[in-house]
Amino acid sequence: MPALNDRAWSPYVAGVVIGLLQIPTFYFMNTALGASSSFVTVGAHIATLFDSTAANVKYFASHMYGAKNWWQVAIVVGIALGAFLSMKMSGARRQTISPVWNRALGQSTLGARAPIAFLGGFIMLFGARIAGGCTSGHGISGIAQLSAGSTLAVAAMFAGGIATAMLMRRI
Amino acid sequence: MSVFTAILIGLASGIVFGFALEKSRVFEPGVILGQMQLRNFIMLKIFLAAVVTGLLALAVLNGLFGIKLHLKPLLFKADIIGGLILGVGIALSGACPGTSMAQAGAGYRDALFVILGGIAGAITYGYLDAPITAAFAEPGAKVSFDTMLGMPFWLTAVLLAAILVAFLAALERMTSWRTEIGSDVDGLMAPKDADVPAGKTHHA
Repeated sequence: MPALNDRAWSPYVAGVVIGLLQIPTFYFMNTALGASSSFVTVGAHIATLFDSTAANVKYFASHMYGAKNWWQVAIVVGIALGAFLSMKMSGARRQTISPVWNRALGQSTLGARAPIAFLGGFIMLFGARIAGGCTSGHGISGIAQLSAGSTLAVAAMFAGGIATAMLMRRI
Repeated sequence: MSVFTAILIGLASGIVFGFALEKSRVFEPGVILGQMQLRNFIMLKIFLAAVVTGLLALAVLNGLFGIKLHLKPLLFKADIIGGLILGVGIALSGACPGTSMAQAGAGYRDALFVILGGIAGAITYGYLDAPITAAFAEPGAKVSFDTMLGMPFWLTAVLLAAILVAFLAALERMTSWRTEIGSDVDGLMAPKDADVPAGKTHHA
């Protein structure tokens, strides 16, 4: 039986738990599970601090207020909280950066890693907003709804990810 | 629904989500990069397990209770170009938008830079949304496999779930997740094992 203080669960148990979250999401929120548009909600509010006209940008305005936008921000904040709790309970504390970065890119310090991490995050969200979803919205939710567009977007995600990872050193 | 209630529901779902992401180790850069180098299939396993569960849950919710689905439209240009760019970002970050938050929660400091970069990317996209949407404009019908096949949603969903379960069983038989997860549960197998040529691998 999977226990709350285990260091690792079977991917099948964890996958089922994540898939079951579609039930409260469709039932209470009348939407599908997603993550990437929360970055727009937070980003739009940050943009207004630097640009008084940012709230007039249609894309920002549609993401700034309302139950669904703040629900998704709460989801990603909850993800960080849940991962923190799980790590505390199992004691699977992580180092500053994963040792995989030394193997893949020769990066062993946070200083060396930070610029690529920032760039990676930037590209990731920019692409997700063009595609209109990420691994959650297009992936877990879109394919579960038999969406052709989401399946295409996920295939492209893996193609882009595989092509880029293959240029790195084998981990 | 009030924003406050929505936030409570979101927090509760998110905590469960984050817990499952941490326990499955799919948030590990080693797991995500390993998947993209096609040498560690934990990410695909959890992803498809979540899809199978979602298919069955939605088959019941939609088929029995008539709950409405929320399909995204099929936009060839935006889906392919956006998906490719997102994939490049996933490989460089060793994260996707959701798992970057789990990495931060589990203690990886570089995830904070991924998140900041993500916010900057989302802001930049927001300013460029009008020209990008115009450039990639397509009629964009909500195309789904069940309507393409002329079958009910619930039946198509159950059939796809069955196919994916068979695929997962075969995948698990090839390499057990217990091997892939690594001794420090970070998806990294010992370098010397990882570099053994495919023909010489031994099954413990």
